[in-house]
Amino acid sequence: MESMLQFNQITRTLPGNPARPLFSGLSGEARLSDTISFTGPSGTGKSTLLRILALLESPDEGRLILNGRPAREWDARQWRMKLSYVSQQPFMLSGTVEDNLRAASALHRTPFDRELASRLMASLGMAETDWRKNAQRLSGGEKQRVSLVRTLLLRPEMLLLDEITASLDDTSTEAVERLLRSFHEAEGTGFIWITHDLEQAGRVAGRSWVLAEGRITEGEYACP
Amino acid sequence: MSLMALSLTLVFVAVAVGISMWQRLGMERDIFIGTVRSAVQLLTVGFVLHYIFQSDKPFIVLLILSVMITVATLNAAKRGKGIRGIGLRIGIAITITEFVTIGLLLALRVIPFTSQYIIPISGMTIGNAMVVSSLFLNGMSREAESSAAEVETLLALGATPRQAMHGWLRRSVRASMIPTIDGMKTVGLVQLPGMMTGMIIAGASPLDAVRYQILIMFAFASSAALTSIMLSLMSYRLWFGEKGMLRRSAQK
Repeated sequence: MESMLQFNQITRTLPGNPARPLFSGLSGEARLSDTISFTGPSGTGKSTLLRILALLESPDEGRLILNGRPAREWDARQWRMKLSYVSQQPFMLSGTVEDNLRAASALHRTPFDRELASRLMASLGMAETDWRKNAQRLSGGEKQRVSLVRTLLLRPEMLLLDEITASLDDTSTEAVERLLRSFHEAEGTGFIWITHDLEQAGRVAGRSWVLAEGRITEGEYACP
Repeated sequence: MSLMALSLTLVFVAVAVGISMWQRLGMERDIFIGTVRSAVQLLTVGFVLHYIFQSDKPFIVLLILSVMITVATLNAAKRGKGIRGIGLRIGIAITITEFVTIGLLLALRVIPFTSQYIIPISGMTIGNAMVVSSLFLNGMSREAESSAAEVETLLALGATPRQAMHGWLRRSVRASMIPTIDGMKTVGLVQLPGMMTGMIIAGASPLDAVRYQILIMFAFASSAALTSIMLSLMSYRLWFGEKGMLRRSAQK
């Protein structure tokens, strides 16, 4: 059976302003292999919903269900390893580029797949990057790509991507899109991808969510 | 020192008040309160200690230690406002630190089992543990924003809360211990510690005073490490809510 994520009646208020919800009663569902673009005007709460789905924030009301089991019955670590969040502001862990790439295997004491890491870095135009370099010294765009590779090495079933190409040039953006499509085809890894670029949304995704006026409107793209 | 001589030391307070008035620092009131409080508190403690040293009852020693630990805990807990349960953990950390430190000194027969030794050394140990606790909590809140990004990055990679907090805790523990360790490196060169100075003025030989000062410095090093590590291990979960999510208050 394919892994399935559902969220029902999710409500979230703004901190310090409980009277005014950021959104209320949002519901939806996705197979973890779905490729979903998530668009909508700024400030409607897309990032917050994505962080709620990643179990990084809690909703004020509502239920999250993965594979038929509510979130409260899940070990949060297992959940986050299946549905892994990549932030718009990439944070480089202290140490070298390699330390960052090794983060998932170091945390879970699993062997580091150096070959896959090299391949992923190369596919994002970072074949020449010195892995011994201090990760803090990378440019913003490089940090963003390393952070994506770092998460892909965890091999999650679904990526929760928060505007991850906003700080990238066209070449790097295309490389990221190609990589995520090929990862989806090869491994079945899905994503929910927040973007403001509607053309990009059409290029990368099979389904579309639009969050506006407190509702999610669903759609499908003709050719995913 | 005669009472007359002691009264004349008020001239130092007059200097502070004079400077405050001259430079319009507006600190006269605080200086006045500080002067009265320090005089009243120290004179009271002097009388209390005089009585306790004469009676030398273990029950009274324990009572005094409890008061010291309570005051130290309440004071340090101010730095952790809004973190529910932090006060209890500070109390436990300071209490264990105090009993391990004094317990070792007594067990190794470094000091005799009398209130004259136990109370002053406990006061210094508890005071140091209080400062270390405050510095640890300061470090935690000072780094909250930048560390929230680090913690969430690690959580998103499937880390446990303990793993995700490692860097943040490590930096805060280090920050809390640095003054104690730096103090060890420069003691005698930069400053002559109050206890040693006091012993010398009261007529003890400098060599005797130095021996006790070394004891205190070494005890401080271990008590700083003990307090900070215990407090970090007991409290790190308080920064997390359900499902290992970082509390919103920690991300301000």
